[in-house]
Amino acid sequence: MMIVLLIIFACTLIYFFLSERVEKHINLLAVQGTLLFIIAFINLIEINLLGLILILLETLIVKAIIIPRFLNRIRRTNNLNRLVENYIPFFYSVLIITAIIIASFFTAYSIRNHFVDVKFLAIALSTILGGIYFTIVHKNIFNHIVGIMIVENGAFLLSLAVGGEFPFLVSMAVLIDILIAVLIIGIFIDKIGSAFGNMSTSSLNKLKD
Amino acid sequence: MALLIFFIISALLALSVFSNKNRSINYSAASVYSLLHISLSVYAYLNLNSSDSVYFKFDSLGILLNGLLSIILIPVFWHSRYYLERYIHDRKMKGRFISLIIILSTALSSIYFADNIVIVWVSLEITTVAITFLIYHERYPNALEAAWKFLFISSFGIVLAFIGILLLSVKVSNAQDSSLSYTHLQAVAQLIDPLFMKAAFLLLVTGYSIKMNIFPLYPATVDAKTIAPFPVNALTSTAVLNGGFVAIFRLYCIISGTESAVWANRVLLIIGMTSLVIMSVQLFKVKRFSRMFAYSSMEHMALVIIALSLGKPGLYAAILHIMLHSLAKTGIFLHYGQIRAYYRSGWIPDSGDYMKQNGFSAIVYLLGLMTATAVPPSGLFVSEYLILRALFSEGYSYIAIAIIVLLSVVMYVIFKYSMQLLYGKLPDNFQKDKAIINKYEPVSQIILFGLVFYLAYFTPAFVKELMNSIVQSIN
Repeated sequence: MMIVLLIIFACTLIYFFLSERVEKHINLLAVQGTLLFIIAFINLIEINLLGLILILLETLIVKAIIIPRFLNRIRRTNNLNRLVENYIPFFYSVLIITAIIIASFFTAYSIRNHFVDVKFLAIALSTILGGIYFTIVHKNIFNHIVGIMIVENGAFLLSLAVGGEFPFLVSMAVLIDILIAVLIIGIFIDKIGSAFGNMSTSSLNKLKD
Repeated sequence: MALLIFFIISALLALSVFSNKNRSINYSAASVYSLLHISLSVYAYLNLNSSDSVYFKFDSLGILLNGLLSIILIPVFWHSRYYLERYIHDRKMKGRFISLIIILSTALSSIYFADNIVIVWVSLEITTVAITFLIYHERYPNALEAAWKFLFISSFGIVLAFIGILLLSVKVSNAQDSSLSYTHLQAVAQLIDPLFMKAAFLLLVTGYSIKMNIFPLYPATVDAKTIAPFPVNALTSTAVLNGGFVAIFRLYCIISGTESAVWANRVLLIIGMTSLVIMSVQLFKVKRFSRMFAYSSMEHMALVIIALSLGKPGLYAAILHIMLHSLAKTGIFLHYGQIRAYYRSGWIPDSGDYMKQNGFSAIVYLLGLMTATAVPPSGLFVSEYLILRALFSEGYSYIAIAIIVLLSVVMYVIFKYSMQLLYGKLPDNFQKDKAIINKYEPVSQIILFGLVFYLAYFTPAFVKELMNSIVQSIN
């Protein structure tokens, strides 16, 4: 079951590069958030109520509902439908993300550490690297926030891989921090859209002397 | 409990002025906060090495840097008054500015005293949010661009740092409150897998490099300082850089006790040298004073990282350099505010003939310039000399010679631009009737530059004690 879920998660990464529609990218983020909840829920050996509430908050509520809704609102306000500006054609990007996933598997299996769950580590690594790649290849700043969210999903999987558990208060602080950062980034994207008339990085080059 | 009380009062003060339109309430809140901050520094010193509010500890480094912030905050709040009266006309925005400075300073104190790697991470993220809004305070397109770049790259860096924390938590996390405390991590450092330790170190240093204005994430910081209001720059070029240093230093304390210590030293040396080379080249292209000073901060932080890479032999010099740079750069950025007010522009070609037009201020600027570029008898000359001496004694003669060459280039370029300001031709579009001069404004800078000299040549015994105790904290 877990392997199937992780494979589906890896497939969502490829879908990010197959689609040019912004709405689909947001939906894929919601799918990843839901998958993360199921994966974390199954992975919990001892269910502690506070831990469960936290995971529910972080994955289903924040990653699968609040952030996608917020991003959709920004997308509609700024009339963003299709991405036309990419540094690398999407066909090559699909090949590259596939190579990233394969390379991550080999890397994870070569690490082999008693304290690390290799299957999670493989998907976590590919998600983090895939997210960074997604951010780099897109010229549109809206997709940069999607890229950061993918990397954060990778970080969540990594926490499952290493079994790292933070105290409840600290986890809450981290969760609120991430949520606030995403909301503020969203607000700034909105302001850039209205101030510069577009969201391309090429219009953000006035600061160099 | 002291820090918890400090956080609560600070939050209340920040909230009380956030949308406040009354000028006297804003400045009263700033004064009360300054007093509160000084009280915290004194309390921390009196309770040296004791824990506080579960996740915090009053150690020597925290006390020293928090004390510095207490000193810096006084002129920053004082000059914020001039800034707000000259450039900000919306009364609500004036309160917001003071409120954001309070939030930023509180988050910085939290970084200095935190004994938990996650608390440092969370506090750094709070500084990102506060700085972003401070950069965008004047609400014009260039400010929006700078704020966006700073926010985005900082957020990216913070995610990388979080991944680093996760890697560091392998094996050491046991879900207890202290599991990710620096004290605990230092104690179990030998048990952490070297591969994970190195990966965590690299990710955390990369993530925090934006806060310390060094390679690789430095561009967003330089852009931010080019645009940010001058009182904000006086904080982001000093106390925030120190916050980045604390985050990296505490990590260094963990790795220095393991077999990866030599590797970490090399990484820091490469980062420091790369930063120094990049800034020396970039400095030739600058056309704005604020950008020039931002690169100057990058130079000093590069020197600090190089000194840190030497371990114990360079640490005393690094700490001294951090302290003196903070005071010198605060003065320089506050003076930049006066240059901007006089010429109604921050561009170098828009300035000229400062010595003749505004003699007293020009002499203060020259004093600041000599202090910041470490021209003898500047205090920074002492710390730079100590760093170079440590490099020679540790067998890094080639690196030391390369640094001397690069610092000479930096000094030449900064003096070349400054000569335009001091003795260059007055621009044709200069309107003397619109120039703003306040003869009392340079006083704070004279005090700050004087402090740099005093701390370097007549270091008080208690400061020396704190610095020596920091040196003893690494293996």
